[in-house]
Amino acid sequence: MADLFQQRRNLIIYFLTLVLMGGFAAWIRGLDVPTSWQRSGMVDFCLGFVLLAAYIIGQVFRMVRLPLISGYIFAGIALGPYISGFLTRDMVHDLRLVDDLALSFIALTAGGALRLPFLKQHGKGIMLNIVLQTKVIFGAMSVFVILTRNCFSLTKNLPFHLATSLAVLVGTIAVARSPSAAIAVINECRASGPFSDRILGVTVALDVLIIVLFTLTLTAIKIILTSAGALDSQVFLALFLEMSVSIVVGIVLGKGIACYIHWIGHDLPLFLLFLAFGATKASFWLSHFMESHFDFYLHLEPLLICMSAGFTVQNFSQAGPFFMENLQRIALPVYVLFFSLAGASLNLDALRSCWPMAMCLVVIRAMGIMGGSWLAGTINRDPPEHNRNAWMGYLTQAGISIGLAQLAQRQFPEIGVHLTTLVMAIISVNEMVGPITFKWALNRVGEAKK
Amino acid sequence: MKIFFALLIIVFLAFSGYHLTFRGIRLPLFARTFYLTGTEFLFLGLLLGPQFLNLLDEETTRGLEPLGTLLLGWIGLIFGFQFEMAKLRRFPFEFLLAAIMEGLLTLTLVFLGVYLVLFPFLSIAGPMKIVAALVLASAAACTAQTGLAILAPKIADRPRNTVTILRYISSIDGLCALMFFGLVFLFRPLLYAEASWIGEVQWGVSVSLGTLAGLFLYNLFIMQRRPESELILLVIGMAVLLSGMASVLNFSPLLTNFVVGFCLVNFSREKERVFEMLIRVEKPFYLLLLVILGVNWRLDTACVFLSAAAYCLFRCLGKFSGGFLVTRLSPGLRQYPSNLGFGLLDPGGLPLAILLDFQKGFPSDITNGVSSIVLIAVILNNFLSLPLLNRLLKAKN
Repeated sequence: MADLFQQRRNLIIYFLTLVLMGGFAAWIRGLDVPTSWQRSGMVDFCLGFVLLAAYIIGQVFRMVRLPLISGYIFAGIALGPYISGFLTRDMVHDLRLVDDLALSFIALTAGGALRLPFLKQHGKGIMLNIVLQTKVIFGAMSVFVILTRNCFSLTKNLPFHLATSLAVLVGTIAVARSPSAAIAVINECRASGPFSDRILGVTVALDVLIIVLFTLTLTAIKIILTSAGALDSQVFLALFLEMSVSIVVGIVLGKGIACYIHWIGHDLPLFLLFLAFGATKASFWLSHFMESHFDFYLHLEPLLICMSAGFTVQNFSQAGPFFMENLQRIALPVYVLFFSLAGASLNLDALRSCWPMAMCLVVIRAMGIMGGSWLAGTINRDPPEHNRNAWMGYLTQAGISIGLAQLAQRQFPEIGVHLTTLVMAIISVNEMVGPITFKWALNRVGEAKK
Repeated sequence: MKIFFALLIIVFLAFSGYHLTFRGIRLPLFARTFYLTGTEFLFLGLLLGPQFLNLLDEETTRGLEPLGTLLLGWIGLIFGFQFEMAKLRRFPFEFLLAAIMEGLLTLTLVFLGVYLVLFPFLSIAGPMKIVAALVLASAAACTAQTGLAILAPKIADRPRNTVTILRYISSIDGLCALMFFGLVFLFRPLLYAEASWIGEVQWGVSVSLGTLAGLFLYNLFIMQRRPESELILLVIGMAVLLSGMASVLNFSPLLTNFVVGFCLVNFSREKERVFEMLIRVEKPFYLLLLVILGVNWRLDTACVFLSAAAYCLFRCLGKFSGGFLVTRLSPGLRQYPSNLGFGLLDPGGLPLAILLDFQKGFPSDITNGVSSIVLIAVILNNFLSLPLLNRLLKAKN
């Protein structure tokens, strides 16, 4: 009863705050901003507004037992150029800086969540799940997009080579999960046991592998789109080189972080923000520099660098827990901005046209996960109850998937809008449904304590 | 791409400098004055800016304007948090009177000196003349405790009362400076928007309403006790929102956030947690401020050095006479040395924040000159303040 009263009180406060903010925003946005000082002030105002509004909407979503992330995305959609127009397209474009920062930050967290002893203990089950789920999901999604390309308005006018590229990218991105959402649900339910450990392990490990898979996919698509002929060994050599260098750079950075924690230790969140941002920008710059000055394409993967750095700190230094604790400290503002801006950049016009296709893909992905996880569980001789419910824990999808879609959009603008729209539509549904089903699964296998 | 690297360089320099500067590295006194006040970051900014290496060019600097706004908001909030009435009441009322009197006297002397002597000499005229004089006077009135911090290990055996009143005055006299600086913004709509008297009133009402709404919003957010991560988000969000609002309304982000900080520290239950959060990044933010000012610094003529020397002289006069008058204010204050002004020369970070606010809000032909005068004077005062403070405390001992 007291809880209900408290919840009602909070709801009223949030409602009041939103109303006040709405009035405030309508007033400020309606003002003329002729000078550059005022224009930069307007960007600041909008940034602050999005941060606060997304936070409130996230809290309201949590009250009705929906995930916070869904609230942030919803806030972004509501404030974006297609609904309220509070954030213009130019502003969303200008704030892309935050996307890069957040993505590296998420990668750093994902790497830090992978613990070596746990991986050793559950290695076989995790590997089986990864291999089987990846094959089934990738295959089912790609084939579906190619076969039904004439049935949906989004892909109807795409030439075959572009439709194939889109199919491969959608298939790859569908494999990705959301470790942050999985961790949040496990923490919320205070769950512990082999079922929740396995799901967390697979989810986080897939976040690492997805980068490898994604890099391979990008290379394959470049070949498809530029008609450069068949795959030659040099492409794979270059890919191997890029990934090896990225991992090595990540290890060096990880060691650097560990040294920083050991010798200095203060202001780690600021240092990590700087590092994540620096790694991303420096790798883009290096790739550009190598190409323009030496005609040599070396694209270091910032996500792999950050993930490898996080993994190194967690497993090869004493600083793991301190490192994760500090990452969590600044995670919220970064995530709120990232997800709300992702929502704001959602192309709603295109979404309207691709909604049927997105729903079909959501169902196919769920079926692929169900098949893959059941097969893996059966081979690994997991308890039947776990086998029946495991798929519900793997539906969550966010963070890295959005980032990958945005990266692909930048590299292949010809299919970028289709891809981002489709992926965002799929993620929106999965992000709403995934945490709910995961919580349900935890209750059914009896690992939820709350 | 350049803007990302510019941001990276700035953040890195601020961050590394913070650790070099504020984390227990023992250096000789002269070098410590240089490093502890972060003066090297001003020069670093100058070096990276368009005048020398041009790594941070005009376009990049424009792109970094939102960061400048956030910095001003953050500093304003921190400064507002210094005025907790319950803590101020622990000191005698005479102290408050002394701080305000010293601040006002310095303001008046510098304002008159600059307006009547320096500006005619420099042939500065037009509506910006009064704005520039107000800015210079406000920057001159601020005092910091850096000198006391540098001498901290040595002053354990020094007269406690003198140190206490110096600390008190240097935390309070910035209030006069900030209020005086607020007057400057009365001229902004007139200068840039050709506003009428009615427009001016409307503007005043808008700014007040905006600040009130921001304050109300802040209270709604921190009504409940929230986890640390959520509080960080709310403080950052509100600082960015209010700074942006102030800029859009042609007002000072520094002053708006100061008012909000003042209200929060006096009326909010979460004041300690919010303050702890603000203070955690105070020093890196201060160094960022120095770098940004260094980048914007244009040393066009050698004449600014002379002007800065004159300005410095007016400031010293103001501080010395202010210090003297304070000690004659009441019988209780007569126990302090009449050369109390010797301990009030340290300018600190507030004049720099005022300067950045002025640079952003009042771009004009004379902005560069005014900025150079303040920056040179700040450096000069940083070096002058320590020996004089030492002398004051030794003499009293």
